Amino acid sequence: MKEQILEILTDIRGDIDFENETKLIDDNLLESLDIVAIVGEFNEEFDVEISVEDLLPENFNSVDAMVELITKAQE
Amino acid sequence: MAFTSFNFLVFVAIVVAAYYVTPIKGRWMTLLAASYAFYLISSPKTFIFVIFTTIITFLGGRYIGMQNDAQKAYLAEHKDELTRDDKKALKAEVQKRKRKMVALILIANFGVLAVLKYFKTYIEMAAAAFGGVEMDLGLLIPLGISFYTFQTAAYILDLYRGKISHDTNIAKFALFVSFFPQIVQGPIARHDQLAAQLYEGHKFSYENFTFGMQLILWGFFKKLIIADRVAILVNQVFDNYTDYAGGVVFVALLFYTIQIYTDFSGGIDIARGVAQMMGIQLSHNFMRPYFSDSLSEFWRRWHMSLSFWTRDYIFYSIALSKFFGKLGKNMRSVLGDRVGKLVPVIIAQYATFITIGLWHGAEFKYVAYGLYNGTVIILALLLEPYFKKAIEKLHINEKAKSWKVFQMVRTFFIVVFGRMFAKATSFGAALYMYGAILRPDMGGGFSETIMTLGLTNIDFAIILFGCIVCFVVSVIQERAGDNDCTTVRKKLAETALPIRWAILLLAFACVLVLGVYGPGYDAAAFIYRGF
Repeated sequence: MKEQILEILTDIRGDIDFENETKLIDDNLLESLDIVAIVGEFNEEFDVEISVEDLLPENFNSVDAMVELITKAQE
Repeated sequence: MAFTSFNFLVFVAIVVAAYYVTPIKGRWMTLLAASYAFYLISSPKTFIFVIFTTIITFLGGRYIGMQNDAQKAYLAEHKDELTRDDKKALKAEVQKRKRKMVALILIANFGVLAVLKYFKTYIEMAAAAFGGVEMDLGLLIPLGISFYTFQTAAYILDLYRGKISHDTNIAKFALFVSFFPQIVQGPIARHDQLAAQLYEGHKFSYENFTFGMQLILWGFFKKLIIADRVAILVNQVFDNYTDYAGGVVFVALLFYTIQIYTDFSGGIDIARGVAQMMGIQLSHNFMRPYFSDSLSEFWRRWHMSLSFWTRDYIFYSIALSKFFGKLGKNMRSVLGDRVGKLVPVIIAQYATFITIGLWHGAEFKYVAYGLYNGTVIILALLLEPYFKKAIEKLHINEKAKSWKVFQMVRTFFIVVFGRMFAKATSFGAALYMYGAILRPDMGGGFSETIMTLGLTNIDFAIILFGCIVCFVVSVIQERAGDNDCTTVRKKLAETALPIRWAILLLAFACVLVLGVYGPGYDAAAFIYRGF
């Protein structure tokens, strides 16, 4: 899953080192438009329903956090 | 009680002294008493509206919070018995109940805002247009109503989303709604960022105390030396716009850009400084916005507490909703993959900027201001692939400093031109003034006219001096990547005592001598106090 997520993320923002960044939201690296694109792709790709309630910084700060978010949403 | 009045300084001195004299556990009570005293002195007739919002939001929040807690407890207790579908059904049921309460509270609070701030204008305008009568409904706009209404809405929506826990003490919550430094013009706070800071007592810290005072002084510098001085020229031209040719109109527009920044960010500095003297960190509202590369970046650095509010509660709510998600999918077959995907974003972006426009007032010019900003950002988004191609073809090095500077200057002028809608007396006046800028200056006489607008050569020199100081401070902070805006104050703290005091006294003297003081030594009202 992590590989798939990384692919989606780099497609949307090729200029960010997603493998190593752990403060994507806290450091304002991702913009609101990126978040909307990312959530849209996640929902489609993993057949989940990530909604506005899940938009907490801790869910999007790193790739690992996103893996966790999707795993939880799939449960 | 204006921030720039002598009375306010005396008030702050008394409150800060009282804060540190009160035992630590009771310090929040001092803040509540001070906040209510401030409101009663400033706007006694509208105090009832603050009380109304406080009570209904507290009770509604309590209901939503208790629903959250009950759901959590039930799920934990019956963890093993419930199927995935059971859990889903339970969540849906609780959400339905919460949603009803959210709607009730928001309609009540925004209803009061709508009647007092918006419909009043429309009803009075309609009476004048149809009946030809001057009508005054006698309704007063409560001080800070937009700020505390948005702040309490964020509280309710964060509870609904399960992001925070509800407040259990109404007196403490009353302080969160009315905290005096920020109720007048923000920043609009979030409960998880501010409430705990207000409720816990802070020990005296020399650094907070002095940094807070320095921030207040900096706020006064911007407001009294720059904003209130350029305001003289700005008001003269905007109030009598038909009298002036393009060059003068353009200068007035440019000066307005300086005025709105120094006025609003100066006021915020004073608010943040007062809070910091008591160990309370209010969120930032400005992050050197005129250094932005693009208009969307500008809106992340300008009036940030309002921008982030609209982003979290309007933009995301629309862009990530199921309805608009489906619409976007359907549109892909019509508009293509890329543009189709952007449909929800475009709708959300317009809704966001119309809200930001309407925040300022009910007149159409404010809607136009929102539409202008939304349209520029959306066009940039839609045309992005073409821009990229053009940049490649022209062999532009996007990392070059000159390119960055070009982007900043371009963004600055996009912002400047948009401001016309917000400042002109009406939408029609804004169009007329754009026309004046585009028309060639037939009569000439720019240099003579500019000297008849209420400012002398010395005033222009002082404005230039003030702007240079502002610019240098901003460059120092920007270079240090300072998101806390403390670089300069920290550097000052490291200098030798006599030098530090010399600089501070000089700044103080500047404000006293160069500040613009009106009759009765009261400075002009803050622009955002009116919103």
